[in-house]
Amino acid sequence: MAENGARADVRLTIDGVEVTVPSGTRVIEAAERVGVVVPRYCYHPGIPTRPAQCRMCLVEVEGRPKLEPSCTLQATDDMVVNTASDAARTARQAVIEFLLVNHPLDCPICDAAGQCMLQDYAYVTNQLESRVDEPKRIMGRDRISDDILYFADRCVICTRCVRFMRDVAEDDSLIVAQRGDKAYIDTFPGRELDNPFQGNIVDVCPVGALVHEDFVFKTRAWDMDSAASVCPGCPTGCNVTIDTKENQIVRVKPRHNAAVNSWWMCDYGRRHLVMTNRGVRADVPLVRDGEQLRPVDWATALDWVAGRIDALGSPGGSAVVSPDASNENLFYVERLLGRLGITGAAFIVPQGETAALPTVPTLKLRADRAANPAGAELFGGRRVDGLRNGASAGGLVVLDDELKGADEDFGGSADFFLYLGTRLAGAARNADAVLPIATFAEMDGTFTNFEGRVQRFHQALRPPGLARPGWMVLSRVLARLGDGEAVNDVRGAFERMAAEAPAFAGLTWDGIGLKGAAAAGSGAEAAGVAASAEADA
Amino acid sequence: MSRRIHPAVVGAQPFQLTARETFDGPIFETEEGRRRLEAALSRYPTKQAALLPMLGFVQSVKGWIEPEDMVEVAEALDLTPAYVHSVATFYTMYNKHPVGRHFVQVCTNISCHLNRAEEVLRSFLAETGTREGETSEDGEFTVIEAECLGACGFATVVQVNDRYLENVTPDGVPEIVAKLRGARDGAAAGGPAAEGDA
Repeated sequence: MAENGARADVRLTIDGVEVTVPSGTRVIEAAERVGVVVPRYCYHPGIPTRPAQCRMCLVEVEGRPKLEPSCTLQATDDMVVNTASDAARTARQAVIEFLLVNHPLDCPICDAAGQCMLQDYAYVTNQLESRVDEPKRIMGRDRISDDILYFADRCVICTRCVRFMRDVAEDDSLIVAQRGDKAYIDTFPGRELDNPFQGNIVDVCPVGALVHEDFVFKTRAWDMDSAASVCPGCPTGCNVTIDTKENQIVRVKPRHNAAVNSWWMCDYGRRHLVMTNRGVRADVPLVRDGEQLRPVDWATALDWVAGRIDALGSPGGSAVVSPDASNENLFYVERLLGRLGITGAAFIVPQGETAALPTVPTLKLRADRAANPAGAELFGGRRVDGLRNGASAGGLVVLDDELKGADEDFGGSADFFLYLGTRLAGAARNADAVLPIATFAEMDGTFTNFEGRVQRFHQALRPPGLARPGWMVLSRVLARLGDGEAVNDVRGAFERMAAEAPAFAGLTWDGIGLKGAAAAGSGAEAAGVAASAEADA
Repeated sequence: MSRRIHPAVVGAQPFQLTARETFDGPIFETEEGRRRLEAALSRYPTKQAALLPMLGFVQSVKGWIEPEDMVEVAEALDLTPAYVHSVATFYTMYNKHPVGRHFVQVCTNISCHLNRAEEVLRSFLAETGTREGETSEDGEFTVIEAECLGACGFATVVQVNDRYLENVTPDGVPEIVAKLRGARDGAAAGGPAAEGDA
């Protein structure tokens, strides 16, 4: 830090490249600016404490007699840093060799293989055979919480997990027990971790020591596909990566976004997201044929629905939308409701317990258990406590609400009951037409989070059967009614929404990027959340 | 002789063992417990700093520290039980398993080794009828192999609770064990004893 507290810039050389960084920046972070990732275990950018105990990030600084840990070393003017000198490399190789003394080398059955920092760095040292002929000490595995397993033999005691719990979650219940080569991570004997954010310890583990039980032995890292997404568990909208295998979600990891979730997410979100695509899905369009719902192809279904709406004119009526629907779906539904003369779609938000991560004020598990209630409000939705049963004439449109608590004859008195849904809810069987749509994980789109931040999510899964994204379906219904064009990709849907919905004015699909942007007039905009100016600090 | 390491890890007793039978139930609700806790708290700027003395106190009255004691210490010092567990297991001189009334540690490092320490150890095990790290059935003895006790000039060195017995020979062991059996505690053990500095 510069004298008198001013944040001046300092200029230093790292691996022959000059770089200017703010005073106070650590060398390990300055190196990343020139594309040099110094090997590290104990350092994690999201964990405030830096014990410099793993000794992996040692670098050589010209004019200094000993190697220095770059995670704590402050960059200063004219410093000349060499991250890959012979001395630095030798030191790193020694660390790896010591770590491998007792490591079981069980990569073939380890879930981290392919995404393991020990594997990567050991590979780089190119030491193919161990010089140790003593037997390895064997410790086995333990259960850290109801869904986290600890493989003690793989652990490198970087203490990232311990420090996440202590310094980020402020729950000092995970510790290092014993010492030396007998050291292991443990809770108090007979107790398990019980923190709503404990799943993050698995994400920070640089090796395969901590594994979620629902992921263990499920897939190899290189067999997974990944998509950038947003957690739909609550309106916080934590940025996540969805890992899939054979069209199933197998793992969810938080994706860094300094303005929303930092590096973390809550366990509820994790479990909720993994469960998103379970259950029996609606996968074929259905239209009413007397007492029956008859499966038809899309062209028939769309023509039939458009024909019915055209014939109805503008009878008014009611609508129920899901607060989990994407902005684009909600936008197109609003257009359709306008056509039918329906205003103010009702939406019901399930409620749950809240949880906060003490050191990250922006990250909360909020009481609203839905992805997009803010979006539903932006499109004129009315938050209601429960479904209104009873007779109502005119049109009835339901967008992906599961109609819990609906009467057996729900919608029976409507002149036309259109159900767009991912699942065929009980009351949806009263509909005149059921159009199967994709879940958020099966399409591209955006959610608006609690503070009005519009965030993109990307397709992670193939939708089942004939299910298609809601915006794709609705744009086709509207096109048949002479309102706009059928869109085939989310850009088209988003651009039309940005052009016609004032809250989204000025936003572009590319401009939102992977970190989101503020909707017009939202709290996020007032707070100065810019689309691209966000620093990844 | 097997060299397995028993969980009852090597360690000296920071305090003299006293009548541990008098401490049934919560330690910090006894007169002595309260007094010790207050004394420790008054000596340090933070409650956390009193952790080592309090663990030492528990061990001095019970001979070992069991999980329930860790919970008690944690509550007394506003720490989490997990943290106390971490500290208690880091230091090998806190016994996490019960030991006999006489906790015998035989040094087998180089000086003692050259002076037949292995035989001394075997002799102790034979006299007490235990295996290494095991507590005898009458609860009198736990014999364990120790790393250097820092008295190489007086090899073989044996530590009984917090007292050193020096120049111990295999032949002298039966007499030592007999005396210990008769003694109220380790303080009365025979031999040329030096005060152990715990």
